[in-house]
Amino acid sequence: MITKTASRREFTKTLGMAGVVGLSSTLFPRWMPRMAFRPKRQTTPGDVLVVIFQRGGMDGLNVVVPFGEGANYYDRRPTIAIPEPDGSDQTALDLDGFFGLHPALKPLHDVYQTGQLAVVHAAGSPDPSRSHFDAMEFMERGTPGEKTTMSGWVNRHLQSSAWLNDSPFRAIGMGTMVPSSLRGSVSALALQSIADFHLSGRDDQLAVVQRTLAGLYSVAAPSDALGIQAAEVFASSDVLVRLGQAGYIPQYDAAYPDSDFGRGLQQIAQLIKSNVGLEVACVDSGGWDTHEDEGGVDGYLAGNLSDLGQGLAAFYTDLQDYMANVTVVTMSEFGRRVDENASGGTDHGHGNCMFVMGGGVNGGVYADWPGLQDEALDDGDVSITTDYRDVLSEILMKRVMNPAIDQIFPNYTPNARGIVVAR
Amino acid sequence: MTHISRRDFLKLSTLAAATAASGVGKSIQWIGVRPVYAAELSPELHLLNRTTWAIRPEDIARIQAMGLEGYLDWQLNPEAIDDPAIDEFLTQFPVLTYTRQQLSDAASMDYSNVHDPALWGRLYRAAYSERQLFELMVEFWTDHFNIPIADLLTEKVMDDREVIRRHALGKFRDMLLASAQSPAMLSYLNNASSDQEHPNENYAREVMELHTLGVDGGYTEADVKALARILTGWTVGSDGEFTFNYDMHDNGEKTFLGGTFPAGRGIEDGLQALDMLATHPSTARFVSYKLCRRFVSDTPPDSLIESTTQVFVISEGDLRQVMRHILTSAEFNAAPNQKFRRPLDVMVAILRVLRDGLDIQDYSIPVWWFLEPMGQVPFYWHPPNGYPDAVGAWMNTNGLLNRWNAAMLIPLAAEGWYDGMSLDLSVFGPTPATVGELADKAIQLVLAAAIDPADRDQLIYYLSDYGDPNQPVTEGLLEERLTSLLGLLMASPYFQWH
Repeated sequence: MITKTASRREFTKTLGMAGVVGLSSTLFPRWMPRMAFRPKRQTTPGDVLVVIFQRGGMDGLNVVVPFGEGANYYDRRPTIAIPEPDGSDQTALDLDGFFGLHPALKPLHDVYQTGQLAVVHAAGSPDPSRSHFDAMEFMERGTPGEKTTMSGWVNRHLQSSAWLNDSPFRAIGMGTMVPSSLRGSVSALALQSIADFHLSGRDDQLAVVQRTLAGLYSVAAPSDALGIQAAEVFASSDVLVRLGQAGYIPQYDAAYPDSDFGRGLQQIAQLIKSNVGLEVACVDSGGWDTHEDEGGVDGYLAGNLSDLGQGLAAFYTDLQDYMANVTVVTMSEFGRRVDENASGGTDHGHGNCMFVMGGGVNGGVYADWPGLQDEALDDGDVSITTDYRDVLSEILMKRVMNPAIDQIFPNYTPNARGIVVAR
Repeated sequence: MTHISRRDFLKLSTLAAATAASGVGKSIQWIGVRPVYAAELSPELHLLNRTTWAIRPEDIARIQAMGLEGYLDWQLNPEAIDDPAIDEFLTQFPVLTYTRQQLSDAASMDYSNVHDPALWGRLYRAAYSERQLFELMVEFWTDHFNIPIADLLTEKVMDDREVIRRHALGKFRDMLLASAQSPAMLSYLNNASSDQEHPNENYAREVMELHTLGVDGGYTEADVKALARILTGWTVGSDGEFTFNYDMHDNGEKTFLGGTFPAGRGIEDGLQALDMLATHPSTARFVSYKLCRRFVSDTPPDSLIESTTQVFVISEGDLRQVMRHILTSAEFNAAPNQKFRRPLDVMVAILRVLRDGLDIQDYSIPVWWFLEPMGQVPFYWHPPNGYPDAVGAWMNTNGLLNRWNAAMLIPLAAEGWYDGMSLDLSVFGPTPATVGELADKAIQLVLAAAIDPADRDQLIYYLSDYGDPNQPVTEGLLEERLTSLLGLLMASPYFQWH
């Protein structure tokens, strides 16, 4: 049976770690300048920004439950609604007397109690598209409705920042691909696994193979996009090999879930603590497209939420000594329809909730709540009263310290909500 | 130059130039491999590069014997091509020919009985089949009508056989209808559980957005809701086959894409709607665009999209005619080496290049050890849009490093590195006398075309003491450098483009 975890582990064992060396640590010929990387703190003035994208359209109404709506919520969701809080673990966890968190988000509720979690509701991208792929691209490029924008908002933030940071770890997409928000002229690292980020092969050939590869890709003076990526691999691998060999034990017994999302967050935490110049990390969380068998207090969505909540809470616990300089923000391409469908699920909707977590956050619920009565809905879905760019702009300006919002979100005038305090 | 920073890289590259100060509205230029290589590629090699998963010596011999058009016509009629390696494979893995019930029985005994041959079969057929263009079409439609295998094992294997493979070079309309009635698709996009009380919109939306019209193809949210109602009752019966259940069907009047669907009808509602979609001009254009993007370049010229759309319309979605048009177009001929190989392309190309000497008993090695870290395990993409096609998704540090590792590690099968995968390099013929000849032979084997002389020199430096191409090849040199030479070529920029 080809189970993936077992075989990957065996594979690593087979190879051992003997042949693992950083790419640029071997001698290059004199004609090739070394991709020296100075692992020192760069002159970044603001928070490290962690951007979490929940792919598929999270059902915000069952995540941050508007139990105060009464029948408007409960009648429309006969089998999947989350009961109003009664203090047990089978009902919503009260936030402010009107909204409550899904009980699977208990770890996140604990963070809320510390005052470092903001919950924003009826938020999202104003474009009416209910297409996953359009809505994701609009949100990630930061220009809803505009298809000609080719770069992502995170990349434009990096392009427009006033400070200089030449670390190859400036921007990282966790996983096998760089998300659209991070694509653009500033190169970002795609990183799936710190421990596996090294060139493999015969020990006696590695050094000379690396040198030849560096030559074939012209990494000293890359002439094309692929050469730039190759140069990034060379520039980052020494540090990653060192981090991989050092291993990582989270602090304060933080327990990351054993999932791609959990592993992604843990590796971001390691990079933050290692002081390698990380400014922005993007990590995805998948599986939110709950058209069928969504479940209520228990079930499919609850399982996904436990991964989300445990991951965020572990990150918060592990990094508590660093949280003054970290802001985490979550988003999803759209929320889901208010009405449950025939399959015990919900179809594509509109308004949704976002979370903002960090030392600089003014905890609480931020909702210019439109209500769920028929006339308040947007084509059957939660209306959007907070543009997601308001949330991001405030973080960028007050925490990340980049005021160039006109470049990051062109033609948009943000409206600060007081979600974070200025550094 | 003593130190080069990332900012300097950007200045040197075309990226910075392509991005104005605002950074908005400009596309990044993902330029191809060095022009000298592209220029040297003959039309024959270019066609083979795009209609095979990697060029083998017999491919070159065939195209020389048949001519370009003869070769293409031969590949466009896969039924007429003998495929002994695949026949043999299917006798070894009969599960891939099982009926739905047999598959279900086999899977209930052990999931891996069905799952593993399905994944390995995808790689194996791509690497070993003589029907190379057909297998590339299968790959295209596998993404177009994407269904992940995870929770729909037997249904997915049936879908692969009865929808994708049956129609990959057939009529688009037949494939669309087969897909709409495929238990895998009905379950994956939830139409199976939709009913007239609370229609599930998932399939109705995606069939228009992803399978036919395209997101800008001229439908509205009201059309999504109407189509969801129209398709209620299209479900999976207790026998696991498609069935129309009238009791679940909304037989009221509907308006869809401007047409009225009268009340009181049954399955003909859905048949009519799918027919409208299959023959809609937006569908012709969207499918043509996607085929041009896959087979020509990430940004195919409008002229080609237009002419392909016309062929699609006139031929009523005859995919052979559409593909023949694309692959014989001037725009195609002008676009050598502009497609960045996706991870599966890389993995299959490695297998195809080395296959004469390869013996793989443990297929978790290619699938999980090498392909998975690159990010493209067959049938494992979850969203309905399929693995991304264009370079932007795949050209990144993680992907590149794992390409290098696969390229460097797989040839080590020749040195006994793996239980379950061996490589006999002696099948590639006698050893050349000099390192120059050795380099040329390896270049021909892996890339089937000449490379930039400066890069050839680098390989000769790798093989020799002082860069002398006339240095004799010794046993010691072969033991030390032969596997890594093959690895370097497969890790090189050349191998990443086709």
